[in-house]
Amino acid sequence: MSTSNGVNISKGIDWTMVLLYAILVSIGILCIFMVEYRSGTSWVTSFLTGKTNYSKQLLFAGICGLIAIFILLSDSKLYTAFANLLYAFGILLMLLTFVIGKNINGSRSWIPLAGGFNLQPAELCKIFAALALAKFISRQDIDFSKPKSQIIAAVIALSPAALSILQNETGLALVYASFFIVMFREGLPPWILIVGFSFGALVVATLVVEPNLLAIILTAIAGLTIYVMRRMIKRNKNLLVFILLIWAVCVGVQRFAVPYIFNNVFQCYQSQRIYSMVGKDYDCSKNRSAKNERAADKAVKKPDDYNVRQSKIAIGSGGIVGRGFLKGTQTRGKYVPEQHTDFIFTSLGEAFGFIGCFVFLGIYLLMLFRIITIAERQRSTFSRVYAYSVASIMFFHITVNVCMTIGLFPIIGIPLPLISYGGSSLLTFTILIFILIRLDADRQMVLR
Amino acid sequence: MEVKRDILWRVYLCYMVVAVVCVLIIGKAFYIQQVQGRYWRSMSDSLHQHIEEIDAERGTIYSEDGQMLSTSIPQFDIYIDFAADGLRDKSGKRFRENVDSLSICLSALFKDHTEAEYRKLLKDGYREKDRYFLLKRKISFREYEQLRAFPLVRLGKNKSGFIAEVRNIRLNPYQMLAFRTIGLDRDSFKVGLEMTYDSILSGIKGKRLVRYIGGGVSVPVDDELQVESENGKDIITTLDVHIQDIAENALMKTMVQSESANGTCIVMETKTGKIRAIANLGRRTDGSYWEDYNYALRATEPGSTIKLATLLSVLSDGGTTINDPVEVGMAGNTFVGVRNIVDAEPHPKAVLSVKECFAHSSNIGMGKIAFKEFASRPDRFRTYLHKFRLDTLTGIDLLGEEKPRLPKMSRNNEGLHAMVTMSFGYAIQVTPLQTLTLYNAIANNGVMMKPYLVSSVVNDGAVVKQFEPTVLQENFVKPAVIKDAQECMRAVVTEGTAMALFKGSPYTVAGKTGTANVADGKFGYDDGVYQASFVGYFPADNPQYTCIVVIKTKPHAIVHFGGALAGPVFREISDRLYAMYVKQSAPVQMAIISKPDSNYYSYTGMRKEMKALFNTLQISSADSGAGNSDWAKVYRRQDKPTVADFTVGNKQMPQLEGMGLKDALYACENMGLKVTVKGRGKVAGQSIMAGQPVAKGQIVNLQLN
Repeated sequence: MSTSNGVNISKGIDWTMVLLYAILVSIGILCIFMVEYRSGTSWVTSFLTGKTNYSKQLLFAGICGLIAIFILLSDSKLYTAFANLLYAFGILLMLLTFVIGKNINGSRSWIPLAGGFNLQPAELCKIFAALALAKFISRQDIDFSKPKSQIIAAVIALSPAALSILQNETGLALVYASFFIVMFREGLPPWILIVGFSFGALVVATLVVEPNLLAIILTAIAGLTIYVMRRMIKRNKNLLVFILLIWAVCVGVQRFAVPYIFNNVFQCYQSQRIYSMVGKDYDCSKNRSAKNERAADKAVKKPDDYNVRQSKIAIGSGGIVGRGFLKGTQTRGKYVPEQHTDFIFTSLGEAFGFIGCFVFLGIYLLMLFRIITIAERQRSTFSRVYAYSVASIMFFHITVNVCMTIGLFPIIGIPLPLISYGGSSLLTFTILIFILIRLDADRQMVLR
Repeated sequence: MEVKRDILWRVYLCYMVVAVVCVLIIGKAFYIQQVQGRYWRSMSDSLHQHIEEIDAERGTIYSEDGQMLSTSIPQFDIYIDFAADGLRDKSGKRFRENVDSLSICLSALFKDHTEAEYRKLLKDGYREKDRYFLLKRKISFREYEQLRAFPLVRLGKNKSGFIAEVRNIRLNPYQMLAFRTIGLDRDSFKVGLEMTYDSILSGIKGKRLVRYIGGGVSVPVDDELQVESENGKDIITTLDVHIQDIAENALMKTMVQSESANGTCIVMETKTGKIRAIANLGRRTDGSYWEDYNYALRATEPGSTIKLATLLSVLSDGGTTINDPVEVGMAGNTFVGVRNIVDAEPHPKAVLSVKECFAHSSNIGMGKIAFKEFASRPDRFRTYLHKFRLDTLTGIDLLGEEKPRLPKMSRNNEGLHAMVTMSFGYAIQVTPLQTLTLYNAIANNGVMMKPYLVSSVVNDGAVVKQFEPTVLQENFVKPAVIKDAQECMRAVVTEGTAMALFKGSPYTVAGKTGTANVADGKFGYDDGVYQASFVGYFPADNPQYTCIVVIKTKPHAIVHFGGALAGPVFREISDRLYAMYVKQSAPVQMAIISKPDSNYYSYTGMRKEMKALFNTLQISSADSGAGNSDWAKVYRRQDKPTVADFTVGNKQMPQLEGMGLKDALYACENMGLKVTVKGRGKVAGQSIMAGQPVAKGQIVNLQLN
């Protein structure tokens, strides 16, 4: 039943996915066009000359189309076979950036290629990590309920993330956290997620609530828990110790750890971004890195929420139906920084308003549900884990990107899948999706 | 199956998380776009570029002697933005610390609220986070300067939230003086010179592309797109503040005494037609008077002053001389041709000469003369009036002049009736200015000058446009007729209706009284409202000024004759003008003492240049000053040139004597003075005395030797 038999290669291909992919890529080019287009120039010629970003993106889309066809023509066994090798290659590429890396916008994560194009290995590594993770979990001798295999899986997922952080690409590093969703599906104990989530909630609460009040609230919760569980505690004294320990850790985190991290680990602008997400102002004079800069007689620029404000203005001025195609003043006036990449969602929000956003996010949601559906119909663990990885990565990207444009999440520079300008990003997601489609087409074939 | 259940709930949880996040995002997007939509849209609008007009500075109206009659001054409205970040910083620490001292200062400055009231006002505004709290309107620049030094306010806009909105208003420093003629410049309506010369005064508004950044601050986007505003030019009027003051006061005094309804008084320079003063007073409901309407340009029935036109017509026509006898009778009323004419007072004798008729202002006499001359062809009378320009505008450069109204003078009964009535000043309506122009032509020996108010347009001290006196017409009557008319007008003062008035006058006056019973508006002829007038020129042998006074009385006023009501005003004006200007008829010269340079000298200039000069010429000189000022003065002391310090302040007029023009201009223009120069050489005289305080924009005349 393989392609070598001369049977129609389109057999088993999920055309819905291909269609959704095509729609999203088209919307992406259109959005970049909205941002970049200047009236007075002929759009046909500017599309074809390759000088503008939207024509470049069109070129990328063409290349991606070719690669997609190539992937569809390839044998799905290829991916299982080479998964670990590719992963190793990816890690190697990332290490290579430290040697021949090119500095773009402050992160040394790019490898310059011929023709002025640059490759970001961290992007590609997402694919390799997904494949490697799938390969690992699908091994017959692995019982994922054992902590040892869980730790190995986590190491596979987080090694590229660690390298990314070293490259000063915090945003991309965070994406690797999305592999925990996959691992959760495959049997990661829920408490890890619960602890992670609680920690997140605690950090946010630390920022929002007054320190003393939060300490009192935490104490009250601990007291209440002890009161409710007093019978169990009578039987098992260790439980009391455990609760008190959690309480101590929480208060410790809230009183000392969070301020310490904000003041000493994060850069001033990072702290400010997180603070401005909850609508507060960060006092940069407490920041260690800012202090260092000041000591070195550098002008310390007070970071503000300029990006988010501009982005909100753009989205907010869209209203219900938007200002119309090419009529967004915020977009036209180039007020939103990085609008063709990370803030591409704003151009859509301004031009087509709430309805536009709704429809657009609807398409994404359809795609995500489609991927999860595909994942659940796989017979092989490899395909399923891979599909979940794709879904998780996409979901994480979309959520974080959209949330940061509307001020729900601090600004970290990660692109909107298939929409944002950028060859690496588009290529990565194309490969991710089409490998999935290839694997899915062969789902009847073998039990891997 | 345990495993399957476990996996299923995990999958469902994934679906749920995705759905929840999606709802969250959609919800937030909805919140931004719908709930806060208006806010963000307004932010967006304020962010974008738009074209802003730059106001041009409106020009100043000067009197001929360089006094400001109307100028623009800034006025401020003070608002507070209580939501200013700086103000609310650290939970309002800055506000709380300053509110008490600020209240004390505000109450001390404006005195309209007590300290406690101000404190409450500020605290209320702060509590409500009012972003545009009106503190005080229309404060002057001086008050604004003081306000800026107050606690909190002095911290600047961002920290205090204080916003000052500036606006230019027109100020007339001389208040009522020629107020109506200078006019008003309001958005809704303009009058007077402000309106007539609006296009010159207002300048050209500039444009620039601006973008608003946070806090409503606008920044220009691109200098190339900026069109600079062009400030309005100044106009120099022919008005003279002193003469205007004299005229206005004289008129006011009589008006108040007689409680008259309204009055006007115009002083014209005989030779040129320049209006030197124009006063218009109207009684307001509270009994006070104000320049409320330009009565000088309003056409009314002139009464006897028009008899000059009748006299000129009959004399020009040739059938009558001024010594011809006219039978007027002793009754005081006679039927002339088509109508009965009444004289206010009975005549001294039954037969008067034409001259006496004019001098005693006999309606019967004038009616008879006119009827005799023009009964057969009344249109000729009309032609003469046309010649005297009594049927057209004078063309003064002031909008709102009313056109005279003349009756039809056909040969039928009605036409003749109108003609006879017209001969003594009824049935015709002319403006006081019209009458004045005609009398001035006679004073000026038959050269009719166009009255005008603006002598030049000035831009930054340089004359852009000069308005020269304009002759309306010459030789419109024969010189002999002018002589006769002048004689008749003299007779009015020597033996006629104004004889008592000018008794003992050191100079000669020629003129004509007029008393008209007027029907105007709600008043009929029976209401006893009179228009008393006197028009004339002085000195009669060498006329310098022609002046008309017209006063409309209250109903049933006791004093209502031209000679008794308007005459004294004229006399007061002429007395004072004669004393001040006419007597020393030679043009005012500045006192210049020319002495040989080598005996006594005093030169002022730049210290460095002076020194360099002495060194080059190897002249030994002494230095008495500390040498810390740029300016130095050189004078002779013990046969040696001595260099002394010379200070030029910026509030007081410096002693310019001995300076070269270059230095003098530098000194004056640095102080914002506008300089006019006569002569060449070194400065010998200056119109503002040294040491006097000066204001920006003032004009100083320099005389060079």
